Amino acid sequence: MTEPRVVVTGLGLVSCLGIGWRDAWAAALAGRSGAGPITRFDASEHGSRIACEVDGFAPEDFIERRALRRMDRVSQMAVAAGRLALDDARLSIDGEGDRAGAVIATGNGGSETFEEHNRALAERGADRASPLMVPVMIVNMSAGHVSMQLGLRGPTSCVVTACAAGNHGIGDAAAIIRRGAADVMLAGGAEAGITSYCMASLDATRALSRRNDAPERASRPFDAGRDGFVAAEGAGVLVLERLEHARERGAEIICEVRGYGASSDAHHLTEPDPSGRWQVAAMRMALERGGIDPSEVDYVNAHGTSTAAGDPVEIGAIRALLGDERAARVMVSSTKSMHGHAMGAAGGVESVLTALAIREGQVPPTINLDELDPACGGVDHVANERRAAPVRVALSNSFGFGGHNAVLAFSALEDE
Amino acid sequence: MTRPRPVDNGRVRVAVTGIGVVSPLGIGREELWRSVSAGRSGAGLITLFDTSDSPVRIACEADGFEPSDFMDRRVARRMDRYAQLAVAAGRLALADAGLSVDRDGEGIGTIIGNGGSGTISREEQHRVLMERGPDRVSPFAIPLSVANMGAGHVSIELGLRGPVTAVCTACAAGTDAVGTAADIIRRGDARAMLAGGADTLISPYFVAGFDAMRVLSHRNDDPAGAARPFDRDRDGFLVGEAGAVLVLEPLEDARARGAHVICEVAGYGASADAYHLTDPDPSGEPQARAVTAAIRDAGITPDEVDHVNAHGGASRPGDPAEVRLLQLALGEEAAARVAVSATKSMHGHCMGATGALEAAITGLALQEGVIPPTVNLHDLDPECVGVDHVANTARTADIRVAMSTSFGLGGHNAALVLTRDEEAA
Repeated sequence: MTEPRVVVTGLGLVSCLGIGWRDAWAAALAGRSGAGPITRFDASEHGSRIACEVDGFAPEDFIERRALRRMDRVSQMAVAAGRLALDDARLSIDGEGDRAGAVIATGNGGSETFEEHNRALAERGADRASPLMVPVMIVNMSAGHVSMQLGLRGPTSCVVTACAAGNHGIGDAAAIIRRGAADVMLAGGAEAGITSYCMASLDATRALSRRNDAPERASRPFDAGRDGFVAAEGAGVLVLERLEHARERGAEIICEVRGYGASSDAHHLTEPDPSGRWQVAAMRMALERGGIDPSEVDYVNAHGTSTAAGDPVEIGAIRALLGDERAARVMVSSTKSMHGHAMGAAGGVESVLTALAIREGQVPPTINLDELDPACGGVDHVANERRAAPVRVALSNSFGFGGHNAVLAFSALEDE
Repeated sequence: MTRPRPVDNGRVRVAVTGIGVVSPLGIGREELWRSVSAGRSGAGLITLFDTSDSPVRIACEADGFEPSDFMDRRVARRMDRYAQLAVAAGRLALADAGLSVDRDGEGIGTIIGNGGSGTISREEQHRVLMERGPDRVSPFAIPLSVANMGAGHVSIELGLRGPVTAVCTACAAGTDAVGTAADIIRRGDARAMLAGGADTLISPYFVAGFDAMRVLSHRNDDPAGAARPFDRDRDGFLVGEAGAVLVLEPLEDARARGAHVICEVAGYGASADAYHLTDPDPSGEPQARAVTAAIRDAGITPDEVDHVNAHGGASRPGDPAEVRLLQLALGEEAAARVAVSATKSMHGHCMGATGALEAAITGLALQEGVIPPTVNLHDLDPECVGVDHVANTARTADIRVAMSTSFGLGGHNAALVLTRDEEAA
């Protein structure tokens, strides 16, 4: 028996660049930044006071008001992205729920809920604790709510690998379809960590940009003037489907999930292994599992967070993977320059954009790339302006605190 | 990296070759097994935080755990207690398997499930923020408190460079971690996986939150008698903490290197209730689908299941639903014959680690031919009748196929089929 092929048939996005992939895609192609001053909480005492917030997100557009009250913002965004993805796939779950599941990754889970209730606990004591403080906050609840709201009764899971989680979620979900445990999986990530504690603790690691006076120019991957990442919130969810299942229902196939590679640096809590060796291993594994030769890669949607240490390591890894000659011709962009770093959701958001790049033949740019850091040279940076170019094979990279590396290989659907 | 040779209809068989545990029932698999087979309780008064303000003062703590026995003291200081439990369990598991991490750890990965750790560090650092301001938050706040760092620290401390993730499906996480890791071995993405869970939610936030949900036992004056799954007088669970890790590798490779095989991971099934925020579907139907999926995945028939290590959370609606789901999945006749025990009666509910700890116990039960008991089961709830409860004392039995089931808040259902190693038997 041959292993089932897995295709992408729907995209759902809740991001600072737009709600629904159409708005976000237009913004990404236009090179628009979604960053601004923090409004979700009073950040006046914080070192970093900028973020990519999702303006105009109205959860009641997606979820019944009564159910909303028992959901953290992160779960609301996950459900909204999931519903958008299902609509985009023109897929009705009715009667098929047992063969449909979800893997929704996150970095933090219900951050707002945690902070609100931990404050209440400190101020009012344990006997005033709320029965909602655990179930609304825990990391798996986005996946749980997606399953409850959308009627998914198959395997439903949550993977947490910091900034690599979205990619692990999609890779794990594809594996669930390949092993025959489901026909349809909603896969991606959600994050809503623009909160006082999350931002203070990120800032304490010195990972955040402090370009508070110019938020739109703060996220500048590969640029010589970069000073850290801009945190984002949002959700990106893809509908993954067994190829035959998609064909039988006449679905539009956006692209194929060809391979998934995962490895670990085993090096440091927050810094990548400077050799990039294990990032290469993850990229190579994704290509090998997809039966793709490195020379076939047209585009890499880079992890590219805009940190001093991370960006050159990733470019070095891409060069090591492809060889200098091929690397010089591979298109690379970090869309985090526009939508910020949505942490556990980043892999989901970026996989949506990567899938669109394949379907539309357009590569969204790395904006704010005004002066390329020489340490980040050697690839074909799609800088500041989008590029119209056929993309047949693309990689999407994600690397997380703790040394988690996760890489997805997507390609246009080709017949066997 | 080489992909393992497929066997058995193209499917790689997955062996458990090592078990490492740090638990309320002891450190290391021998101590754990002595405790469970003797029906000992690991419950006691909470020492991990000041409970003077708390209506619940009992839990199952991993007494006697000394992180510096397993890692450098300086390194340990940068870990939440849950990550320390993970590293210790991982190290014990690797030693138990006699597996050496060579070739730079290429192709050896780890999945450490959990339900909400490191909550202890997060609660502390959030208090620092509230009391002293954002610039006083520790630069280690994130690495201390995020849920992936148990897995991250295991990979760093043991030098594992294969796939490394944290599966976090609340109380089902340990089971989902083992099942997910088994699939990674089967598809050839790693040559060995350290799979399990590590969790300690014995913290002011979680104990208060669980208590507000009315799911914790209030038997503060009788900790050892407090966790009583399936008993008429049950009043909730005890929060436990543990690190539990199983070493999984292709059976063929394990045989080739002469490793001791404890049992096989033959099948894994998962499903979702899609029913309610906190309550399980009382029909037992979604949970039964996970059990059925695991049985199918293992290529066995329901009547072959000899023993089930039940979730047994000692909740009012949960325990009867478990009996119903076994009746649905196995058929009433087979269910009536299956030996069921809820070892949470001894080690408490170790949250995201509990599925891995229970899988470890189930593997040992297969190896030893002894089924551990549900302790404190003196007056069986009539609603929980329908299976063969192994009550209060361990039972010697020739068991070949066993299951371990876990059901998590949010409706995550996960089941493993473990089988005895026939060459050892």
